[in-house]
Amino acid sequence: MRQLNLSGTLTILLVLAVWEAAIRSGLVTYEYLPAPSAILVASWTLLRSGELAAQTLHTIGAVLLGWAIASVVGLSLGLALGYSRTVRTYLEASLELLRPLPGIAFLPVALLIFNFSLSTELAVMIFASVWPVLINTMGGIMSVATRLHDVARTLRLTPARTVTRLLIPAAAPSIIVGCRLGLGTALVMAIIAEMLGNPHGLGYAVVSELQAMQPERMFVYVLAIGFLALALNAALVAASRLMLRNRG
Amino acid sequence: MTSPRLLAGLPRLRGVLPLLLLLILWQVTAPARSPYFPPPSTWWTSFEAMSRSGRLYPALASTVLTFAAGLAIACLAGAVLGMLIGTSRAAKRALEPLLEFCRGLPPPVIVPVAVLLLGYAESLKLLVVVWVAMWPILLNVAAAAERVDPLLHDVARSFRLGALASLKKITLPSIVPPLMIGVRVAVPLAIIITLLVEMITMLPGIGSLIVTAQRNFRSADVYALLVLVGLVGFVLNSLFVIVEDLLLRRFPPRMHKLQ
Amino acid sequence: MAERSDVPEIFRADGVGLEFSLQGQPRRILEDINLGIKRGEFFTIVGASGTGKTTLLRVLGGLQKATGGAVTFRGQPVAEPPEGAVVVFQDYSHALLQWRSVARNVALGLEGRLDAAAQAERVRASLRMVGLEKNAADYPWQLSGGMQQRVQIARALALGPEAMLMDEPFGALDAMTKATLQDEVLRVHAETGTTFVFITHDIEEAVYLGDRIAVLSGPPGRIHTLIEVPLPRPRNQIETRQMPEFLRCRLAVYDAIQAAGRR
Repeated sequence: MRQLNLSGTLTILLVLAVWEAAIRSGLVTYEYLPAPSAILVASWTLLRSGELAAQTLHTIGAVLLGWAIASVVGLSLGLALGYSRTVRTYLEASLELLRPLPGIAFLPVALLIFNFSLSTELAVMIFASVWPVLINTMGGIMSVATRLHDVARTLRLTPARTVTRLLIPAAAPSIIVGCRLGLGTALVMAIIAEMLGNPHGLGYAVVSELQAMQPERMFVYVLAIGFLALALNAALVAASRLMLRNRG
Repeated sequence: MTSPRLLAGLPRLRGVLPLLLLLILWQVTAPARSPYFPPPSTWWTSFEAMSRSGRLYPALASTVLTFAAGLAIACLAGAVLGMLIGTSRAAKRALEPLLEFCRGLPPPVIVPVAVLLLGYAESLKLLVVVWVAMWPILLNVAAAAERVDPLLHDVARSFRLGALASLKKITLPSIVPPLMIGVRVAVPLAIIITLLVEMITMLPGIGSLIVTAQRNFRSADVYALLVLVGLVGFVLNSLFVIVEDLLLRRFPPRMHKLQ
Repeated sequence: MAERSDVPEIFRADGVGLEFSLQGQPRRILEDINLGIKRGEFFTIVGASGTGKTTLLRVLGGLQKATGGAVTFRGQPVAEPPEGAVVVFQDYSHALLQWRSVARNVALGLEGRLDAAAQAERVRASLRMVGLEKNAADYPWQLSGGMQQRVQIARALALGPEAMLMDEPFGALDAMTKATLQDEVLRVHAETGTTFVFITHDIEEAVYLGDRIAVLSGPPGRIHTLIEVPLPRPRNQIETRQMPEFLRCRLAVYDAIQAAGRR
């Protein structure tokens, strides 16, 4: 049972209060720094107009779709690499050369090919999120394969059964960690793509409000992104705890 | 198997084949002026052209300098703040929710906020990189400072080391391995954020070069710069590994890994 | 054998107790401890787990404050680790600074107190006393458990303390290393005349090393019996352990522990 962090909550409230007072009293005149109250008002406006919901849904949808595809690709490749030494010999070095490419440098290439569309967003997300899933899956499978190889042989399991009944469940913790990291990466890449490539979603909203000189509305979207990140992470932690609940 | 270590690494080079084959296929099948998939040979020609035009190296310098300075400041700030938070239980409890929120905020979001508050100034680039790179370092150092073996505290008291001596001789060296782990995470993050800031604000750097190339549909330039970014990232990472090795040489091997 | 009854007491505990409250319930760790440890004595403390041996050592060494009674070292009340007493811990790998060389570990207590030349000389002498002169430039994590514990002992000796408090220092070591280190500690004791307060759960070790043995009962920890060990020094792993007096003392300690457990 978690106790309420009193001093922590008080600190946040204090920061907000000081912020509000500083702006109102004119002590701090940052032309573009809105007061917390103004942000609150703007968030109400955006909620009522449905814009906040629309942009949020777009980002969530894109993230989940991109993450799902990346996970499938990453899992399959990771499985193949982890299971077969031959595959590793003929593929690993290529992947290791591609991995250091930051996803963001890939964005202009995606723009060239797909223009300003959802495909750009998905392409960038997938390119970046595949890696954590792939690496963790490969690592997980490799670390259990050595132990379980003999078990599979002595029980005379077919390769298919070895993979599905033995290796994947045993490597599940690593795989889940990889998927969690992949989701985080997908969110970051989605925001980046929306800022620069696909004019939809929370990332786009932030930049467009910035350019329209609407700081209150911009902050609303910034906070929305922050809370979305927290919510996705919390959901994933809960889901992984559920999936691993029978283990020690 | 008793093959010598050097030769044992070579068979892995066979793994480069798929990439090589892809590049060769690309080179052979793509039309020379393809807007989407220019053949790799054009990448090299455009790289040469950019390099001769004098635009490339200043941009590269700007990007690498921002990265290096930002990382250095982030190390300092992260270490100092991490120590303060890690050694004071009261500070930790008071700042914890705030820290969790800041930590969870996806780095790209910082860029528009910084632009709003600071305008399109050169210092913007540096500050954003520092902010983003600081968090993994700060959090790692704070966690480690909190977890300094209580036995070492007893040793410090038994030898009557003052608070300052305790800090200098025991707490500070204890946080060097976790600091390096934080930096290891911060290095790729700093590279990405530097590029991102350049792309959004069009401040000088490789990022803005890539965006310009893309907007002018100079696809060979885009690919050439992409390869350049990959190489630069590889070099920076390797440098980091060397520094990390040097610093961690005197620590027991078990402390080199994530705990 | 020299008469020690007129030698002053270096440690004195009168009615010492330690209690704290855990989740609202008071817990007594030590109760009504009365003892006087003579200067130059080798005083061992034994008892079952939970009898508060470590806590008693920490109280004597100033690492923990007694909640009741008075503790003095050289006649002065003990509130913080006093000048002249050093504690040696069981967990050597965590008590040493793993990132410092052996020599620099041994120098820890001397830094800021002596100039560089004097420091170097003390470090050399301490390492010589524990037989580790050749390992001055090594790092603790490169050494075996026994060697690391010797580094810790050297570190304590470098201060030239009047009292060494040792908390089950050989508990984590194998039998052969233990025997070697026991003899080293005895040698240091003979050469320097330092007072030793030594905790162990090994009855034989307590008898082999000690001049007097305190058997603790508890919880809460109390001194159940004090046993004199009139064995001649220098002690020898083979001969001493076969003496009838040794066996008699061993039996006495064993009986005392059993009796303590029955209370």
